[in-house]
Amino acid sequence: MPTISVTTRDGRAVPVIAEVGRSLMEAIRGAGIDDLMALCGGSCSCATCHVKVDAMHAHLLSPASEYENDLLDSSSHRDGTSRLSCQITVSAELDGLRVTIAPED
Amino acid sequence: MVAQARIAIRDFDDPTYDPFAADEVNFGDHLDPYPQIARWRDQAPVIKGAYRPEMGLAAALMPDRENFIIVGTSEINTVLTDTSRFSNAAYKFNLGVTFGQGSISTMDNPDHGRWRKIFQKIFLPQYVSTWGETIVDPVVRDLMGKFLERGHADLIEEFTLRYPFEVIYRQLDLPQSDVRTFQRLAIGQTDYVNYEKAIEAGVKLGAYFKDLVAERRARPGDDLVSLLALTSVDGDYLPEEILISFLRQLMNAAGDTTYRGTSVLLTALLENPDQLEALRANRSLIPQAIEEALRWDGPVAVQLRMATCDTQLAGVDIPAGSLLDVVAGAANRDPALYPDPDRFNIFRDRKPHFSFSRGPHICVGQHLARVEMTRALHAVLDHLPGLRPDPDKPRAEIRGSMMRVPHHLYVRFGD
Repeated sequence: MPTISVTTRDGRAVPVIAEVGRSLMEAIRGAGIDDLMALCGGSCSCATCHVKVDAMHAHLLSPASEYENDLLDSSSHRDGTSRLSCQITVSAELDGLRVTIAPED
Repeated sequence: MVAQARIAIRDFDDPTYDPFAADEVNFGDHLDPYPQIARWRDQAPVIKGAYRPEMGLAAALMPDRENFIIVGTSEINTVLTDTSRFSNAAYKFNLGVTFGQGSISTMDNPDHGRWRKIFQKIFLPQYVSTWGETIVDPVVRDLMGKFLERGHADLIEEFTLRYPFEVIYRQLDLPQSDVRTFQRLAIGQTDYVNYEKAIEAGVKLGAYFKDLVAERRARPGDDLVSLLALTSVDGDYLPEEILISFLRQLMNAAGDTTYRGTSVLLTALLENPDQLEALRANRSLIPQAIEEALRWDGPVAVQLRMATCDTQLAGVDIPAGSLLDVVAGAANRDPALYPDPDRFNIFRDRKPHFSFSRGPHICVGQHLARVEMTRALHAVLDHLPGLRPDPDKPRAEIRGSMMRVPHHLYVRFGD
């Protein structure tokens, strides 16, 4: 299973072993990292699973949908590397991906 | 103007019916339901029974099914987010009957998500923040202007009970002459104990909205009805049932809840003058004051779900079709999450509350609610120096077991 490096809000880099086919949000929450709140449970209905994806790997991800894009726009911490982790499906290619949990809005 | 005159709003057949008097019988007048909720939590996370009868409330439009009360935080999270086992179809029995079965609150994904995305976009922070200045501030200023000189007021009757509804009338650009009947119908829609009145309200409000939508399609303005009436999906207008149900629900979802939330916030601050003073000294504390008020005594104490299959929750067998009362107010006062949970404390560690629910149905209007509460609180701090409870009047009492609100908040200020 791919391992993803997740940097928490207090700056710790935590290796997260992620199951292929599940969402990155579920993998992060499943690893016990609860500063990623994911209040809507992964239905692209809030923006509380916001992460910044290391630019080196951004090309591996499918682009954000219009709805994800709108939700990201609601965050004052959005930048070019922002994604909602519930909308990223874990695949073998994502092994070594590095993401950072965005600051709380 | 000629076109608007053709749109008629019809009041209840019985003009003596008072929808505002139905609040207690529908939503309870309990001073404090939290001790009972805490006893349940101590007993088990999942309790057999239904919340309404346990709280002494009359039945309201629900079918005879097995009932469970969910008070454990983890179980509450599960029921609200595990949509493979727990459905929003339970709301078809009450909200669906009056708002219309096109209400997204009655749907599950994927249908729910398809329509929700359209409404969600309109209510995202980047859009609603502009309403703060253009709509909310003028409404708040007008209402406060009526009592500022007096030095005393009932902040519920004269302010919080009015401003969120006024915001909606302006968003919808309703003709002023329709507003009174409109509010009577909108409030009457949730009189489930007198359900024939709730249904009558839904029918009459529906007829009114259909005319309004047709008129705005012909002569669009920059209001919310025009925006929704002209929104297209796959090259067609929104289905009528979806659009009309949404408009019917708006008063309840955006008006009633914000009225309750702001009323609780102001009451809590007046009961805790040190925290009110801290806010006066540092306005950057406003967001945490709002979140704490929503946690401490959120307007909607209970949400409803239905089991889609025979299942288990915390070791309790739940047959398919059972109705589940999910007590957000239990999670909000869970001592494991919030130490000393019954205390209103804007300085506590910030953790997300359950008052906007969780899962795919998380409140679409939450960002607008925050904008409105923020603007209301700024106005209170700006214009009401020396704000304190009126010593000659009864103290505010927050009441209700389904929905919570104080009916009066008598204050003095300015001297």
